Amino acid sequence: MIREVPLPKQRLSKDSMKAWLINEIILNVIGFLILGVLLYLDYYFLWKEWIGWILIILTALTIIDMIFSPLKMRLHYKHWRFDISEEFLQLKSGAINEKQQLIPMTRIQSVTIHQGPVLRRYKLYNIKVNTITTEHTIPALYETEAMELRNQIAHYANVKEPEA
Amino acid sequence: MNQEKRYHPLIILHDIWRLVSNSIFFFIFLFIIQANSEFWLYKYGRYAFVLLFIIILLDIPVKWFTSRYKIDDKSLQLQRRLFANSSRTIPYENIQHVRRKTTLFHRIFNMTSLTLETNVTGDHSSVTFQVLTPEESMDIEKQIRRKGNITDREVIFEENQAKPAIEIKYGNNAGYTVHFTPAKRDIFKAALTSFSFIAVIPIAWSLISNLEQLFHMEGKIEGMFSNMLHSWSWWMLLIFLTLLMLAAVFGGGILTALRYGKYEIASDVDHIYISKGILEMTSFMITKANVQAVSVHQSWMKRILGLAEVKLICAGGTSTEELEVNTLYPFLPVQRAYSMIREILPDYQVAANMERLPKKALSLRMLRPSWFWMIATVFLFYFRPDFFGIELAWWVPSIVILLLVIMSRVLSFFQTGFTMSGEFVQFKTGGFTNKLFLSKRTKIAELQLTRNIIQQKLGLVSIMMSHRARPVKHTRINDVPIEWCKVFRNWYISKEQAPVQQRTNWSTSR
Repeated sequence: MIREVPLPKQRLSKDSMKAWLINEIILNVIGFLILGVLLYLDYYFLWKEWIGWILIILTALTIIDMIFSPLKMRLHYKHWRFDISEEFLQLKSGAINEKQQLIPMTRIQSVTIHQGPVLRRYKLYNIKVNTITTEHTIPALYETEAMELRNQIAHYANVKEPEA
Repeated sequence: MNQEKRYHPLIILHDIWRLVSNSIFFFIFLFIIQANSEFWLYKYGRYAFVLLFIIILLDIPVKWFTSRYKIDDKSLQLQRRLFANSSRTIPYENIQHVRRKTTLFHRIFNMTSLTLETNVTGDHSSVTFQVLTPEESMDIEKQIRRKGNITDREVIFEENQAKPAIEIKYGNNAGYTVHFTPAKRDIFKAALTSFSFIAVIPIAWSLISNLEQLFHMEGKIEGMFSNMLHSWSWWMLLIFLTLLMLAAVFGGGILTALRYGKYEIASDVDHIYISKGILEMTSFMITKANVQAVSVHQSWMKRILGLAEVKLICAGGTSTEELEVNTLYPFLPVQRAYSMIREILPDYQVAANMERLPKKALSLRMLRPSWFWMIATVFLFYFRPDFFGIELAWWVPSIVILLLVIMSRVLSFFQTGFTMSGEFVQFKTGGFTNKLFLSKRTKIAELQLTRNIIQQKLGLVSIMMSHRARPVKHTRINDVPIEWCKVFRNWYISKEQAPVQQRTNWSTSR
């Protein structure tokens, strides 16, 4: 009979939540600026009525989204898991829409690490894994962990299987 | 074999033929239709056209004179020496598909053309020999197939090849068997299914409008039709329309016969060969090891007539010009389709019994919002279109669409099936149409399991498999019970086999 394989267990770094939150705040500020300019233009040039309504709804949605964003970040962190073995990379994420991905090491073509300005502040790295079909990202890992994981994936992915 | 060669001299004629047929439209446009126009674009366009035409015409013999190719034991080399030398080497291992095409031009001179698809992406993904003698094309294909490792089987093959009788057909290789050639009945069904009689209408229409333009009689034909409508009595019109319909059906039948009439599916130990077409012959070869998955597709029309289309999902894709390249034959009788999969790919098994979706999946499917229906309803409410002059309240078509959506969902619930057996996984999805999908574990490039919040509560999972192909092939099945999904996941990760199911003979196929 088929053996049970455990679900992935490794988690992201705790600081990931802070980094994501800062990112979110920056994005929201930019969003509000754009909405503000649009609202002003709407008021000044007397655009059609329905445009005003859409702008107001958008603003309301952005505010609601912002209120929930700390909770969203926490859920995101709480549900993100990954694991690697010699044969598979496993990713699992999402609370409301749960997603689990199984990527055979033999299909991995390249591994890269990325760091944006916000991530740099917390010394965090994103790992991007390119396969034949798509790109996967493991977000927000500490430096040593990220380097180690990258090297390990690269090592396992290199081991060629005769089956193509 | 091992020496550098020029291409066949007929390639000059072929290229000139192609140049003329490519430029004829511009010629007619610039020198006949817009002959009197003094507009600068057309005026200078005429000079530019003549200049370009002459340059390309002169280049054709020069190109022939300066290009050579060499067929090695291991690779194919293409060279061009003009002012600078350029050379390309293509190892045989890199060649994924071979396609032979014999157009009318080739048939006149008893020649053929050969396209080799490689696994390289980009501009240089394929090599084409525009004109080759059938013998030489055979030699090249043989080299590629052999890839240096001769076995007993292939020695026999070579002996057979030495015989002078070489048709435009693949060799009498050991194990070469023909699986399918359509009978008249098959073509008739194909014509009916493909609705090719409808395809006749635009062809006829474009012919009429072309004639109109050529003889400056715009509107006259239309006038003729409206005249007919008014003056002819109803039975004359009826006879006329019937005749027209018959002509369309007949024309459609001929179109289908031309496309699918002379069709042959054959295979040997490692390859699958497909050749088709009556006027323009195309042949190609698929390496069995490249087959990632098999799918059997039925549209609703095909379901009524008991036909199916078998598609092979292949790695190292084919160029976009011929998408049909991976279709075995679009109008196979269902049972023949399944038995043919077994014949061509003996290590692929079709399982007879599949597991069904649990009842809760049906209720979930019913509750899922249908964006299509919503958008259609908003559209109908807003624009209130009338159908063929009949005025309907906007909600009538909306309800019809809703009923169709519901029907399709109920059908999809009953159609869906899934199972795994040994090395294989088999999915069946559909609604009005249906699709059976079969693949080996080692060929699944990636697996994705998703569940939204309602699925989490109900214990259902959606599965998406990705396969290597160009473009990447994704296959989805929704609302599989989580218990089965767990087994499936473990089956995929751990290299253990699922209990083997009994093979089907599909004599009692649904």
